[in-house]
Amino acid sequence: MTQESTRKQAAPMSEAAFTLLVQGVLDYGIFMLDPQGHIISWNAGAERIKGYRAEDIVGQHFSVFYPPEDQASGKPQWELETAVAEGRLEDEGWRVRKDGSRFWANVVITALWDEKGVLRGFGKVTRDMSERRAAQHALSERRRLFDHLVQAQETERRRIAWDVHDDSIQAMVAVAMRLELLADRVPESYTAELHRLDASVREAIDRLRSLTFRLHPPGIDRHGLIEGLASHLADVVGSSWGMAYTFEHQLDREPSPETAITIFRIAQEALLNVHKHARGSRVDVRVASADGGIVTRVVDDGTGEPMPQDGARDHFGVIEMRERAETAGGWWSMHSRPGTGTTVEFWLPNPRPVPATTPEPAKDAP
Amino acid sequence: MTATAGRPGPPLSVLLCDDNAMLLEVLSEVVQAQPDLEVVGTACNGEQALRLAYRRQPDLVVLDVRFPGGGPSVAREIAQCSPGSRIVAFSAYDDKGSIEQMKNAGVFEYVLKGASNRELFAALRRAAATR
Ligand SMILES: Nc1ncnc2c1ncn2[C@@H]1O[C@H](COP(=O)(O)OP(=O)(O)OP(=O)(O)O)[C@@H](O)[C@H]1O
Ligand SMILES: [Mg+2]
Repeated sequence: MTQESTRKQAAPMSEAAFTLLVQGVLDYGIFMLDPQGHIISWNAGAERIKGYRAEDIVGQHFSVFYPPEDQASGKPQWELETAVAEGRLEDEGWRVRKDGSRFWANVVITALWDEKGVLRGFGKVTRDMSERRAAQHALSERRRLFDHLVQAQETERRRIAWDVHDDSIQAMVAVAMRLELLADRVPESYTAELHRLDASVREAIDRLRSLTFRLHPPGIDRHGLIEGLASHLADVVGSSWGMAYTFEHQLDREPSPETAITIFRIAQEALLNVHKHARGSRVDVRVASADGGIVTRVVDDGTGEPMPQDGARDHFGVIEMRERAETAGGWWSMHSRPGTGTTVEFWLPNPRPVPATTPEPAKDAP
Repeated sequence: MTATAGRPGPPLSVLLCDDNAMLLEVLSEVVQAQPDLEVVGTACNGEQALRLAYRRQPDLVVLDVRFPGGGPSVAREIAQCSPGSRIVAFSAYDDKGSIEQMKNAGVFEYVLKGASNRELFAALRRAAATR
């Protein structure tokens, strides 16, 4: 390897000075990559932010810091290429810590050239912006708009579900009852046909009923997220689909209604996908507080078919799940390995209600 | 001819409660067609249901779950003003929560709207048999 000899030359200052500078900085992760993207130096800030110690990480490729979906789309490589082409690249986005949790990073990658114009590697500076981002997001117009949209959508769905229940289903029940009554009264030659009609009306009723369930699962707004998920798992996953499941939860605080609905909706689609596509035997759901928000995991033991990259336009589940999570200020990912099932994992911030909307007398007023 | 449960004696009196007029009408026709069942009243809200239950003291009450006045609370009140009545919930909802609420309110059977007429009759006869 010729890089061994060139690394030292690539350093813009003496090793000792560089080490001192780098060691002193805690707020920034500062490290270097070789031209292929392998980590060749590490500092205390990087350890603090990303959770790796130098001996764990030096020599590894820097793409381990990226979420699986970014790895799959080739983002790390693309970032290096851009830094080479333009000298520098700045990016904000989710990065993954050693323990798998994510933080919102500001990243600057600078290409380092020697005097002969040969690429010697990259300098990378990473800052953890999670807290600032969360604070900004909680107060933003965008957050308020998001909450409003979630509520509006749920209200609309509830209204449609009620209309279907109170009108369509009842009307069809009346038709079915009358058909059955009629079947007992007409000459025998018509009976079979009437029973067939009756059966198809009753099947349509069942389908409408499960549609209203999906539109507005009872329980979620009355009893909160955990109850809502628990009864969805019991009624739909367990009873209707006959699938084995486990449900674990560990919340240090009840989510806001908007956050609860968003988690529920994403989990609902992830579970539906398990039912439709995974051909597995079980699904494990876990909801837990993490990083000032809530992380949810839906794990199946199915085919683990990788996400199709065929660009087919008629699959909206994945797009919608990601959209919901990102609009709420969080992240969403789906990873699967053939033979070991699929994991859908997402995190949403769980902001406390905006003070302005819940006026309360000052607690420590005399 | 529809089979009866082979039960001798006078027909069971039934009060029907549903806020959907069309459904109430069909329900009434279908139940009335059973020789061992007799419709003694129909109600489309909680107040009517209670008045009729009190006056008629029916053997059986068919009660919608999403009913004006609240299915579960109407069920409780009927049980008070007509203690001999057996209540059968007739519901468009089959989620655990709704079923539990009605069972806690003292209903004997829970029939899903969309079940066959036969299943409804069977539930009514089962409920009556517990008296
Ligand atoms: N748990 C899973 N196991 C195996 N394959 C999955 C799983 N979840 C998703 N997939 C694959 O990913 C594809 C995309 O999922 P997506 O939810 O976007 O679309 P869909 O379920 O096919 O349609 P839609 O959700 O729009 O009704 C699926 O068609 C399926 O091939
Ligand atoms: Mg889907």
